[in-house]
Amino acid sequence: MGEIEMELPSNVALTTTSAIHDFIKGSPLQKLVNWGRKNSLWFMVHPMGCCGIEQICVGVAHYDTDRFGIIPRASPRQADVMMISGYVSKKYLPALKRVWDQMVEPKWILMMGECAISGGPWWESYSTVINMDEIFPVDIYIPGCPPRPEALLQGFIELQKKIEAQQDRTVIPNPADEGV
Amino acid sequence: MGDEQAAKQIIDKNIMIELSNNFPNVVSDVDVPSPNRAVARIDSSQVKEIMQFLLDKGFDHLSCISGVDYPPDKMEVVYHVTSYSGPLVITLKASIPRDDPNIDSLCDIYWNANWYERETYELYGIIFNDCPYLKVLLLPEDMEGEWPLRKDYAGYPNPT
Repeated sequence: MGEIEMELPSNVALTTTSAIHDFIKGSPLQKLVNWGRKNSLWFMVHPMGCCGIEQICVGVAHYDTDRFGIIPRASPRQADVMMISGYVSKKYLPALKRVWDQMVEPKWILMMGECAISGGPWWESYSTVINMDEIFPVDIYIPGCPPRPEALLQGFIELQKKIEAQQDRTVIPNPADEGV
Repeated sequence: MGDEQAAKQIIDKNIMIELSNNFPNVVSDVDVPSPNRAVARIDSSQVKEIMQFLLDKGFDHLSCISGVDYPPDKMEVVYHVTSYSGPLVITLKASIPRDDPNIDSLCDIYWNANWYERETYELYGIIFNDCPYLKVLLLPEDMEGEWPLRKDYAGYPNPT
């Protein structure tokens, strides 16, 4: 159990920024980028509890999420949005962190349902993680037990508004900017 | 109803009498509250003999093994035994001391006892002697030794 730590060779440096990135960030072009991002929120099909039924339900033709650019993807490597849609046990948390690490930036998290937000009925359980918002950078909380599919769609639209207003939490603070 | 099934039901009716006759000082407090249920207390030292006796009589399905914690000095292992052909479910309760909770494993008799015993072990810390693989079943491995379903477990994040 536990996370798999990967050691990088000493001659490899990880960067979270680049010259093009910095140039776009400071220019009006960033709005165009955000417009593209908010209209292509591909979410990972990752049902975790009974809320997962509603999550799958949102992905089918009846709710037609394609009109917002919201498309279900089967792999975390192709997805932008992870929905935590159920109770997370202490045993499952390392696997969930690993899935989250596999997703490429920019990425967002929706908390769906009471279990993910606070533990829900498992508030007093010996094995449920109840402080998920301290572990993951959560953007949207969708309360309900479970929330209706319409509520989930509303959550996506709120996330789009946040991205458009650049108030989402996916922006990594650039260490170079902090000294300025 | 076929002849076989009718004969089976007659066996079901008499099984508790047979059981207490065969194990006179081991089986006690026999009660048959309904045609489908029977309850008895058993001595924890002879649980294997009793289960072998029941299996030979046609009770071929060990339905579950569970634990009960009675602080400060007692724990209980509860067995539910039934058969695929008859309606009777027998509940057998074995008391064990709380400071040294151990009881014989049933894996030799019922092959499916293995996972039941592992789950009872991880939640209550009851040691099943001679269980072939007595490790945690569902809990994370680092929680082994916490015994979360004991009454004095203090690891709950939000006790009310």
